[in-house]
Amino acid sequence: MAVGKDPARVDAVDKVTGLALYPADRVPDNALHAVVVFTNQPHARLVSIDLSKVVASPGVVTVVTAADVPVNEYGLTLFDQPVFIGLNDTGRSSVPCDISRWEADHLAVVVAESLSEARRASALIDTEWEPLPMASDVASAKTDEVLVHPGSSTNTYHTLQIRKGDAAQGMEAADIVIEGTYELPHQEHAYLQVEAATAWIDEQDRVTVETSGQWVHEDREQIAHALALDEEEVRVRYAAIGGAFGGKEDMSLQIVMAVTAHKLHALGINRPVHCGWSREESIVGHHKRHRATVTARLGSTSDGVITAVEADVWLDAGAYNYTSNKVLGNLHLSVAGAYNVPNARIDSRAIYTHSVPGGAFRGFGGPQGAFVAESQMNKLASKLGMDPMELRQRNALTDLSDGITQSGLPEGVGVTRVIDACVERVPPSEDLPNHPPFAPIASLPAETTQLRQGRGYAVGMKNVGFSFGFPEACEADVVFHGDVDDERPSRVELFHSAAEVGQGVHTALTQMVADAVGLDFECVEGSFSDTSTGGDSGSASASRLTFMAGNSVLGAVEEAEKTWADGARPAAGHFRYKPPATEALDPVTGEGQPNFCYGYMAQAVELTVDIGTGHIRVDRVVSVHDVGRAIHPQMLRGQIEGAIAQAHGYTLSEQLVVENGRIQNPRLSQYLIPGIGDVPGQVDCVILEGADPLGPWGARGVSEMPYITYAPAVTAALHDATGVWINKFPLTPSLVLEHLASVDS
Amino acid sequence: MKYVAPSSVEEATSLLSSSPSAQVFAGATDVVPQLRSGRTAPEVLVDLKKIKELVEVNSDGDKWTVGAATPTAYLTEDESFSHEFPGLSEAAGLIGSDQIQNRSSLGGNLCNASPAADSVPAMVVNGVRAVVAGPNGTRVLDVSEVVTGPGQTTLDDDEFIVEFEIDKMPNRSGDAYLRMTPRTEMDIAVVGAGARVTLADDGSIEQAVLALGAVAPTVVRIPDAEQALLGSTADEETLNAVAAAASAACNPIDDKRGTVEYRKQVAGVLAKRAVVIAIERAEQRNGSN
Ligand SMILES: Cc1cc2nc3c(=O)[nH]c(=O)nc-3n(C[C@H](O)[C@H](O)[C@H](O)COP(=O)(O)OP(=O)(O)OC[C@H]3O[C@@H](n4cnc5c(N)ncnc54)[C@H](O)[C@@H]3O)c2cc1C
Repeated sequence: MAVGKDPARVDAVDKVTGLALYPADRVPDNALHAVVVFTNQPHARLVSIDLSKVVASPGVVTVVTAADVPVNEYGLTLFDQPVFIGLNDTGRSSVPCDISRWEADHLAVVVAESLSEARRASALIDTEWEPLPMASDVASAKTDEVLVHPGSSTNTYHTLQIRKGDAAQGMEAADIVIEGTYELPHQEHAYLQVEAATAWIDEQDRVTVETSGQWVHEDREQIAHALALDEEEVRVRYAAIGGAFGGKEDMSLQIVMAVTAHKLHALGINRPVHCGWSREESIVGHHKRHRATVTARLGSTSDGVITAVEADVWLDAGAYNYTSNKVLGNLHLSVAGAYNVPNARIDSRAIYTHSVPGGAFRGFGGPQGAFVAESQMNKLASKLGMDPMELRQRNALTDLSDGITQSGLPEGVGVTRVIDACVERVPPSEDLPNHPPFAPIASLPAETTQLRQGRGYAVGMKNVGFSFGFPEACEADVVFHGDVDDERPSRVELFHSAAEVGQGVHTALTQMVADAVGLDFECVEGSFSDTSTGGDSGSASASRLTFMAGNSVLGAVEEAEKTWADGARPAAGHFRYKPPATEALDPVTGEGQPNFCYGYMAQAVELTVDIGTGHIRVDRVVSVHDVGRAIHPQMLRGQIEGAIAQAHGYTLSEQLVVENGRIQNPRLSQYLIPGIGDVPGQVDCVILEGADPLGPWGARGVSEMPYITYAPAVTAALHDATGVWINKFPLTPSLVLEHLASVDS
Repeated sequence: MKYVAPSSVEEATSLLSSSPSAQVFAGATDVVPQLRSGRTAPEVLVDLKKIKELVEVNSDGDKWTVGAATPTAYLTEDESFSHEFPGLSEAAGLIGSDQIQNRSSLGGNLCNASPAADSVPAMVVNGVRAVVAGPNGTRVLDVSEVVTGPGQTTLDDDEFIVEFEIDKMPNRSGDAYLRMTPRTEMDIAVVGAGARVTLADDGSIEQAVLALGAVAPTVVRIPDAEQALLGSTADEETLNAVAAAASAACNPIDDKRGTVEYRKQVAGVLAKRAVVIAIERAEQRNGSN
């Protein structure tokens, strides 16, 4: 059996030896080079554009603009962004194309013989812009004085609400009400491999883009839409992907490079064209984790039974929707936590601003929601003088709960399970262990009298798979090889589009096929992420691929078994797995079944803070996960440790500065992701296997879960250490000192 | 852009005198990012690392001479140097990462003239001198006299630093350098504090020099704190006075890394801690070594 073991990853040797080629490594010898020119205008109307100097510049082959896009609109869930900003609408775009609403809106692609020639020429575009008034944040956009998309009467373009029981009465009945306003920051994905793509027309005349993304078929659909082509006329495939985290779910280079190859072909130039972004272009040019403001109230009896939750959520969507409407849904659901809440009023809004779009990022609204829900619970426990995990246990959702959307929960709810396991490992009543002396920086030992230690907890759940009625399915194809008189196949090929973004899905699928067929791991050969060979897998997102792709390969193997039994050699099997349907929520009450599966988690964090400098060191994290089944325990631990490192940056150091719609620090020297000396000193992974009845081998999903609860566990630990609650982060040393000072005085 | 690598000080100075838009470099860890961002665009880049004096370290018993282009890794790896000047050695060890330290030099760190350069407060408290070569020979400057503001030095365009002279650490003396960065490595100082003290036989402080980095356009000394320490045993009250004087000596900028308030407060904390460490080291350094 391969499932449950740790075979070497199928991509391990290539990745550690450098053989694995990422999109920027795969520049064909005869490639032309492209530079994407951003408008650099957070809000302005294009009055004129003159390309004559560009075209005349040495080495320039062509310049691609809005005029080259048949359908000049883009959007994963709403078509609200032009592919290029240009003077004239094509008439087939639903969005005015002459207005730039984001500094990284695309103005043109300059194609030249060399990168330096393309760069030099791209500086020669002459444009005239009419500046337009800005609504650069939620506070100014909320007033609707300036509209980001004038087609609508308000910037508050997407709202959700929950009305359960009677929230006002529930608050009335409460002995204690906890109130807070929470500020959730942006985060940059900071994947190692920045955006790059090569495009050409392949031997079957398909417009072909090779890049890195999270869903080849979605990329293909968006490209086909803009080029007004059939999807079959477009091909997308992925090279090795150096991280994505949601940041490659939306389009960066996919459409514009396809349009560029298409135009070159029309000009009779049949050469591949390559573009690779710099780190600065990447940071400016793709969406971020949403910033948001949430005000919340939590009512409880004096013995710690929740009576009501109220919340108001304002999500800064930025200039375009991207997946903000979906992220809002997730935040909306998670803001009440993993608890029984008899009465609730929750109002959530996504608001357009002239700022960087918010979009998918590991957790997808969950981290913001969990910070609110868990901070509220931690404050309540502290106010009640109650053990914070006991409080949670008392209110935890179970299989019998109706849930915040009053529709019950998918079977196998694991909240109490993860709480028990976490408390067993880290009893709240137990003294903090003696962590090694605090010296975050070799030469900066603290005065021991200035060290404070604390411990905090947080608990949560996160959906696995697409939510709210979004069509959810995953396809797989397998081919069994063997001789006519062989009883069993000797070799199996797997064709799948699941994106290997580093999480290890190709290895997990290989394990699953091996076990489903009863073959050794080495006898399975996978071909991945090419729309010309694999069916639609859906995206590498929502912690869904182990569950969805696992079920798809199980089905495909079953199909192949049938044709094999009928004597076919090779024997092919195709399967499209569909999980139970989900629902959009009722617009008034929020009732409905939004999800078909959840993963559950609990974390304990122990930290030390130097009250002289405000520097925090996280000494230990205990991360408890009910994953249903650990398919590859080593990769699973990798996901947990990696998610915690990323959440550590979100919580402690990563501060994206956006002023008037412009990112001020698009550099890794100024946007501080944690280094090896910063991440928690110790991470204990506790893996529980409470099978999901629908999961392949019982598996759920895990890639987002360890991220989600980290920030509130850290702020709770900081409170334990210092007596101070901080409702925002990153907890930079200066923010920490500022808050400590406010308590002193 | 042209690259040249002279093999002697004279060759280098004449090259600099004859090409108005020339720039010297050692490790180029500042120069390369500046070239890429367009902040500097010299016609000639003069590599100093091929000149013997600039990459040598010597000790004659009375003083050390450290070639201005010597990789700072030397200062952290050489046991006798780091034993004698633990603060300066640790400051050098904070620059970037191992990879950076295999290239970065004291000359570059000083002449890049960043207010946050880590080695500079540590050089200042140790009274390090810079030997400067120019068309008319050499002159000697205190390190504290070299930088006048961010990116600005008192060196002429055709001058460069050949080496640094560091007098032997006296008995019952010790140095320390501490810096605060939000990230534990690969980050730029929000505050840096250097201290050096010499103790009298009775354990009281006979000499004290304190300097702060990253809190003003140049590295600043803290005369009030030095004054407060003289004759004292660094009791709590004196250390609080040191902290207050350090905060008062700051004239920082408000930026993404730290607010004015934060820098002032932490300057006090670090100055105090640096003094305590320097004293501990001074106590251990007596007689034989
Ligand atoms: C990733 C990274 C991390 C860094 N981290 C730190 C850090 O933590 N702390 C810190 O202080 N710095 C840091 N730096 C900056 C840099 O590494 C240091 O300032 C280093 O000491 C510069 O030395 P160099 O030899 O590389 O200088 P170069 O880049 O070669 O030169 C820097 C400047 O000094 C001039 N110069 C060089 N040598 C001489 C000389 N002999 N005489 C006159 N002028 C001269 C050059 O013309 C240039 O203007 C970092 C840099 C990078 C890239």
